[in-house]
Formats: sequence, C-alpha cells, structure tokens
Amino acid sequence: MKPSSKLTSLVNQMPDPDGRGMYCTDIDKDKIDKAIAQIHKGGRNNIIAIIDMLVPPGKGDDVKAHYTLHCLALHVCKLKDDNQRRRFARTVASQLGGDRPKAVQKYLVRILQVAGGKEVVGALGELLVDEELCEPAAQALVAIGNGAARQLRSALPNARGRCRLTVIQNLGVVRPPAFLRKQEGGVDALKKAVTDEDQDIRIAAAWALANIGDPGSANVLLRAADAEGWERIQATKACLLLAENLLAAGKNYEAVKIYTHLRDTRTEPAERYVRDAAKKALTAAGGK
Amino acid sequence: MQKNKRVTRRQFLKGSIGAVAAFTIVPRHVLGGPGHMPPSETFGGALIGCGGRGNGTFNGLGPNVEKRAICDVKFVGKTDNKMVYTDFRRVMERKDIDVVAIATPPHWHALISIAAMEAGKDILCEKPMTRFIAEGRAVAEAEKRYNRIFQVGTYGRFSANRERRKIMTSGLLKECKAVYIKHGGFKVREWSGMVNVKPQPIPRSLDWDMYCGPSPLRFYHPHRTGGTHRGYWDYEGGGMTDMGQHFFDRFQYEYAKDDTSPVEIEAYAPPAHPEACGMWGWVELKYADGLTLVFDSEEWGERYNRKEDRSVSISDLNEQSQRKLREMPDPEPLVGFPEAIRTRKQASGHAAVSHRCVTLMHLANIAIRTGRKIHYDPVKEQIIGDEEANRLVNQPMRAPWHL
Repeated sequence: MKPSSKLTSLVNQMPDPDGRGMYCTDIDKDKIDKAIAQIHKGGRNNIIAIIDMLVPPGKGDDVKAHYTLHCLALHVCKLKDDNQRRRFARTVASQLGGDRPKAVQKYLVRILQVAGGKEVVGALGELLVDEELCEPAAQALVAIGNGAARQLRSALPNARGRCRLTVIQNLGVVRPPAFLRKQEGGVDALKKAVTDEDQDIRIAAAWALANIGDPGSANVLLRAADAEGWERIQATKACLLLAENLLAAGKNYEAVKIYTHLRDTRTEPAERYVRDAAKKALTAAGGK
Repeated sequence: MQKNKRVTRRQFLKGSIGAVAAFTIVPRHVLGGPGHMPPSETFGGALIGCGGRGNGTFNGLGPNVEKRAICDVKFVGKTDNKMVYTDFRRVMERKDIDVVAIATPPHWHALISIAAMEAGKDILCEKPMTRFIAEGRAVAEAEKRYNRIFQVGTYGRFSANRERRKIMTSGLLKECKAVYIKHGGFKVREWSGMVNVKPQPIPRSLDWDMYCGPSPLRFYHPHRTGGTHRGYWDYEGGGMTDMGQHFFDRFQYEYAKDDTSPVEIEAYAPPAHPEACGMWGWVELKYADGLTLVFDSEEWGERYNRKEDRSVSISDLNEQSQRKLREMPDPEPLVGFPEAIRTRKQASGHAAVSHRCVTLMHLANIAIRTGRKIHYDPVKEQIIGDEEANRLVNQPMRAPWHL
C-alpha cells in the first residue's frame, strides 16, 4: 500500500539517528507522541502502509518505520482501551503467513509480543511449525499466555527439528491446564520425548514435565537422572523441581519418593550437595 | 595433618577438616577465618566470560583459587576442553571446579549462575545480576535449593552507613519521609544502542548462536558485543542496569529494602526503541512505607523537580527512641565471597538481596520501555493491572535455554 503524503510526513517526524547511529540527540518526546497519535487515528490503512515500509535487515532504510510501528504498539497499550489495542493487534496479525519476507514477519511477531492478546494467538500458533518463525511465535505466545497452551499443544505432533524443541520447552513454560494435559499425546508425548535421541529435546521435555508438575512423571525423570554429565545435572534439577511442584500441590507421597531416591543414590562426594538438598527437603516434607 | 597436602573444598566440607573444626585445640590459622587462609585450602576456579571484566571478577574469588578453566564464546578454534572452552556446560561437568566467576554479558548471568549451582559450584557474578526480574527470583531459588554461595560483583553495601541501617531495621522510625535522589552517573548516552545497524559477517572465532543464547537470534553486528552490548535490551538494559547495581546496593542495604521493592514507578522518557536502549530523563520509584528513590539521568529533558533529597538520620528519632537504638546490637558484620566459601556463611551480596537491588533498575526500565506509570506487587513480583507491561517481568527465552 502506497503511503499517503500525510503519513509519510508523520513518519518523517520520527527522529533521525545521530552521528553514532543512535537515538541520543534531538529526541523530542512531544513531537513523537503527537505524530504517533495522528498516525493511529488513520487506522488500519496507516498501519498496513507502515508495515509495507519495513524491509529485511540490510535491504534498505526502514529505521523510522521500524520505530513508528513499535511506538504505535506502545501507544495502543497506553490508551487503556482494549478495543483499540485489539484492532491494532488484529491488523498486524493479518499480515503474517503471507509473502512478506520472514525477517519482516519476525518483527511483526515481536510487535504482537508487545501489544497482542488472545485475539492473535491463532495467527501465532500457525507459525509454530515454521522453522524461521517458530521461536519468536512461541515467545509471543507465552508472553501473551491466554490461549497459548492450546496452540502449543496442537502444534506438537507436526513440529519438527528446532520447532519441536521450541514447542516442548514452551509447553513447560505455559504449564497447560489439566484438560489439555490429558488429551492424547499431551503429557505422554512429553514423557516419550524424555528418551528422544536429541539431548536438547530430552532435557527440555524433562524440565517441561517437572514444571507442569505431572505426578505420573516421577519414574521417568528419575530414570533420566541416571545419565552422565550435563544431562545428569539437568535431569536432577527436573526431579527436584517436580518434587517441589508436587509438594506445593499436596502430593507429598510422590515428592517424598523423589527426594528419597536422590538422597540414596547421590553418594559420591561430588554430588553431596544434591543429597543434602534432598535430605533437607525430606525433613521439610515430613519424610524420613 | 600434612601441611602441604592439597585438600579440595569438597573434601573440606565432607568433614576431614570440618569435623575437627569443632575442637578448639585446632589452631585458628589452620581452620581459616578473616586474615587466616590455610595454604592447603585450594579451590578450583573457572572464569566464564573472558572480556573486559573477566580477570577482575576472577580475582574477586579470593587468593586461594586456582584457575583451572576459562570459557568464552569467542574461543572457537582455540579450545582444548581441558583449560579452554566455548561451552560453559562442559565446565559445569568438571568435578574439580568449585567456584565460578561469571563475567559474560548480563543476558547469560542468571542461566550460568543457576547452572553452576545445579552443578554444586559457588558463584561470583559480575553486575548487573540479571536481565529481567524473574531471572533474579530463579537464581535466589536455586541458591536456596542447592545451598550454594552467590555474590554479585558489586560491593556498595560494604561501604554503607551502618547507623542508617540500624535506624531503618530498628522499627523505631514511625514514618519514612526520605527521598534519595541519584543525580547523574548512569552513562545513558554512552551505553545506548544503534538503531541503524546492518548485518555483518560473523567472525570465525565467535559462536554467535551461543553468544545470543536465551536472547533472540539476531543478525551479527560488532556493536552488539564487546562492551557496547550494554546498549541493547537483548543483552542488558543500558547504563541504567550497568551502573545502577553499583549505586543502589548501598541504598538498599542502608534503607533496609533487601526484602521488598517499590510499589509505584513512573518514568519521564521519550518512547523507547524496540531493540536499542536510549535516552531517559528521570524515574521516580516509591516504596509502600513512603520512601522515594529517584534516578535523575541529567542527560535528557527536564531535570527532576518534584521532591528534594532528604535522608534518614538519628535526628529523625526522639530522645527515647535514640536511647533504645543505642541499646540495640549493631548490624551484623558483612561477609565477602572469599570468607563465605571458606566458612559456608552466606555472602552479604547473596542472590536474594542482589535480586531485589537489580529489580530497581528493571522496574525503571519497564516504566521507560512501556511509557506508562506502573504499579508493582513486591510479594508476588508482578506488575498490577497492566498485562502488557507485566510481560517484561518474565521474558521468554530461546530454546533450549530456560530458567
């Protein structure tokens, strides 16, 4: 969309980078605020015209458009009018998934991380299987929170490689509600991933199960903690984290089982600190 | 006891010397203590992040630490996985490393600190302790879970006004009307980021993916590394976080705010850039008890003029309270890192208090970045009534990195 001369003039009111390439000189807050408010009044057409000005890094000068779009995201959050914020977020989200360069879409996803809400989780969820966009999409989803678990859970069966790792880890971040965990492939898929051939996947899955606080995962995680090196350290952490979450949920029996196992198996001097941590927690949990 | 036999810290803790420490017939110079370091007590040390602050931070570990590993993402092609590493996880696997000095850019501070504690090591971490608030809570939880020693590499509280600390912790001051204004020194302009960077080829010696770590994988530009990384939200938070922990560790200790945070934060600044840290004028942070803290950059816009400096002193107490104060014990002596790892006493700049200190700067930056007055719940450590601002309290990490 070709920008109107009025929009071009408003965008040009954004500051020019100074001699060091920074926004440190002649930064006029009032001028910026007024220009952004006027651009916002122009609605959807203005937002899309600004998005049209964005280019991938190194492919042209979009410094002012880049800053303008971010200022608009801040502006709609500042208005404390959720309709205005939603309208802005939907417009930005409508530009995802098409022919725009991936680097530009990545920036749009980051804008949604600032100002998006439940209304854009579907659009973000579709990007979870895109190798280039899954990471920022997952980050925006977990930042938004509301509705993120369902998107991540749905993407898990189709996610491959880097996307799979991202989805598994972020399932642990959002700690999906019980009804989603019980669906076929939910927690079971994570348990299976604890024995994946990729070490990053194994560690992420163990941590996700621990963070979710799944009581049926104790044995899986304790077995994982028999590994060596970094994986042993991380799986042991997952065991301790799971036990803490189980205790917080009143599931003392399962927690005591984990602590007892760690107390009895961490017998080398180099792992004394784990044994001590388990012993301390056992005492607090009322175990022997 | 063989005088020159090398005893590792773990052997020490296991009881070979620790057990006899209970008997007073053992001379003090053998047991250690302030100014008495037994020559046999050698700790295995590692330095992670070998840039500008690397050696200085490592030296802060104390005199009896032997450097056994160095690790930096810029060592690609130079590693031997015995002394020189690019991946800190390999260092964590080593059982002969007891203490770790962390001098990486701040976006790695929390994760490496936590990993070190999970591996049973003690940590001296360069300031600022973290990149966002939730990281600090996670470090403090790991410190507690694994009972490790952690100290942040700034020592403001060690030169604090102890009388003020005593007044503030005494409970004798009924109302705190103090206003603490820090004028200038934040290096706002110096540690700003570039808004017009263009992609550059990644140097062969640099593992750029590992450098970015938990932060978004951006294109490479040298300004994002080597000290000037401070100017980017991805890695630090400008001069605010870089200098703030120096300034306010002392404030936090003197005013007894180690267990809490401000409840209302307001900033005067132009709209922030999404990636590059930039200019701000001042930030006002109010505590629930009435104490006001102000950061006045003196580098942009109008100067702060809402309130005037007013400190707490003995004259704020009536005569009866002053008498009571004199009868109270003085604040506990502070414990430095070398003493802490030797005695297993908690270091005075431990994770929980250092987290509260760096939270000040994170809250200020959130107010700057959102352009909104924010309200903070210091118990839940959440921003109240502003879902979008709250997203900056706990920022997502790039897999496989997580807290």
